[in-house]
Amino acid sequence: MTHVVSINGLSKRFGRIQALDGVSFQVPAHSIFGLLGPNGAGKTTLFSIVANFLKANAGTVEVLGIDTRYISRLRGRLSILPQDAQFQRNVPILEQLAFFRLLAGRTKQQAREEVMHTLDMVGLQSVAKNRVTSLSHGMVKRLGVAQAFLGQPEVILLDEPTAGLDPANARQVRDLIKQLQQSAAIMVSSHNLAEIQELCDHVAILNRGRLVLTGSVDDITRAHRECYLGLSRELQDGELQRLRTIPGMRSIEKTTSRATDNNSQAAEYLVTFDLSGDGMDQDTVIAGLLGQILEMGVTPRKLTEGRSLENQFLELTGNATE
Amino acid sequence: MIHLKTLNAAHIRLIAVHWSRHAVRGGAGLVYLMIALVFGLSVAHMVIMPVEQLMTVQERERGQVDPEAVRNMIITVGEPITQFVLGLRSVEEIAQQDTGHEQPNARNFVGPPQEATNDAGSESWTDFLLEDRPALLSAIFLLLLFGMPFAISFLAFNQVTGDIQSHGLRYLLLRTERGNIYFGRFLGTAAFSTAVTAVLIAIITLYLGLRIQIYPAAALAGWAIHGFLAVAILMLPYIAVCSIVSASVDSPFLSLVLAKLIIGGVLLFAFLGGLKWEAVKLVKYLLPWGWQNHLLHPEPSHWLAAGLACLLYTGVFLMLGYARFDTRDL
Repeated sequence: MTHVVSINGLSKRFGRIQALDGVSFQVPAHSIFGLLGPNGAGKTTLFSIVANFLKANAGTVEVLGIDTRYISRLRGRLSILPQDAQFQRNVPILEQLAFFRLLAGRTKQQAREEVMHTLDMVGLQSVAKNRVTSLSHGMVKRLGVAQAFLGQPEVILLDEPTAGLDPANARQVRDLIKQLQQSAAIMVSSHNLAEIQELCDHVAILNRGRLVLTGSVDDITRAHRECYLGLSRELQDGELQRLRTIPGMRSIEKTTSRATDNNSQAAEYLVTFDLSGDGMDQDTVIAGLLGQILEMGVTPRKLTEGRSLENQFLELTGNATE
Repeated sequence: MIHLKTLNAAHIRLIAVHWSRHAVRGGAGLVYLMIALVFGLSVAHMVIMPVEQLMTVQERERGQVDPEAVRNMIITVGEPITQFVLGLRSVEEIAQQDTGHEQPNARNFVGPPQEATNDAGSESWTDFLLEDRPALLSAIFLLLLFGMPFAISFLAFNQVTGDIQSHGLRYLLLRTERGNIYFGRFLGTAAFSTAVTAVLIAIITLYLGLRIQIYPAAALAGWAIHGFLAVAILMLPYIAVCSIVSASVDSPFLSLVLAKLIIGGVLLFAFLGGLKWEAVKLVKYLLPWGWQNHLLHPEPSHWLAAGLACLLYTGVFLMLGYARFDTRDL
């Protein structure tokens, strides 16, 4: 199967608000698929319809070839980290998660073992017998991630899995997501565009309930691929002109906000590539760029990924604030 | 479209057990336990206290208690009250009977169907409750049948509504069918209610058997079991009404208020409306109010029919609630 999730003409209305309007896209197998959009774009609504929490007004959703209106046929194969869903306050964590595994047909012993293993993955094994009320916001979020990883789901929906997590825990969750890509397709919604760019190979961008763009991250950012380049000294106008003539280069502009080091002569440039031409490859363009710079007697100090996806996102969503 | 074919007995059992345990931890179970015990024991106290006082007087004056005299006193005092509660006599009729003038008058509106109001039938029902069965227990059961439907909503109002509001159900929805959650929680609530009823009636029966000692143990035990079954089965349609409300609104508080309004409102509307239009009294049959006393009827055909009707009401209410729960946004 080439696509694990197929969304066709999905529409959902809440009173006068059109939350989703004819959205269609597909999620490739074994991909990490990012769902982007400003607040109110319809990301959570879309996830909720895929999981059959909400009923669509029009359109269909198929997961693993099964219409999600018959969600029971997907039991155990689809899991979700819902946004803002609360665990039972007065039941120990271990008991709550073990109950989910009992529903999957496990014995009490098996259920407890599986839960402890999953809690260990997210660093919560030590609080397994605690109640949710004793956990911090970040720990509750990791608990939500843990329940989504329980069992062996083939498709996992994660609605803002790193929201509210400190950088170390966010990194841990991202690493887990990457590991799970081997066995499952994962759909992630996030406000952190850098995170989506790092994690996802495909994205869909929603704005006001409509799909504005979908495709692979590579394809989407080809025409506006960016990187930050730190140099040992500022480039002269002539040197800049020379660099702009390199095939695949769109622009190179000096940045004002980023200093590369304490050297007063050092400078940083935002380099934009246009890789839309046939056979155009980012590595080749960067190699050409660095070659020219070295020929000018300038030392490259730093080369980092830019915000290509973010720029594309802001352009498509009318600079909507996240 | 209702997907009953996807129901899973093992899931329903797991959810019912988990839910009944959660009901205690969650507070609603404890609140109901307190309310049911306070109400039930208050009713028992109200019924038993005069008898205990009479026994104390007898013991002081005669040096011993005469069980026969106590039972006769209970029958004499209890007969008009029982007839009123069963809807066989109005207050005016009872007053006039005492003074020797009886006139036809409106019956107690929480009464049985018409055929039970003939004198022979009414006497046999009253005699059955007061003479053939332990009268004190009969009186307590009649009051429990009237009062417990008001109390049950404290337990049953939050079967799903709290988890709809908190989105907590979303952790379950991909792991089992909506129907399993709905029916499992209903059964868990019913099991908890039945356990509380059993505890309450056991306490009262033990007290009557060990302290009052005016009825044979076998008679007390047999009637206690019948009364327990009557109260337990009567709770089912009222829990099912709460299930409908709980599945239809997103706020536990609103669910509690609506459940109370529906259960009490049907009775109140039938009573007040019935004062002006006779036909409005039929509103009480929307819930088991109109015939629930038949669960204590001497004829097995009556209490069996009443029990089956309870199950029928329960089935209808459950299906209405399930239809809503299965198709709504969660």
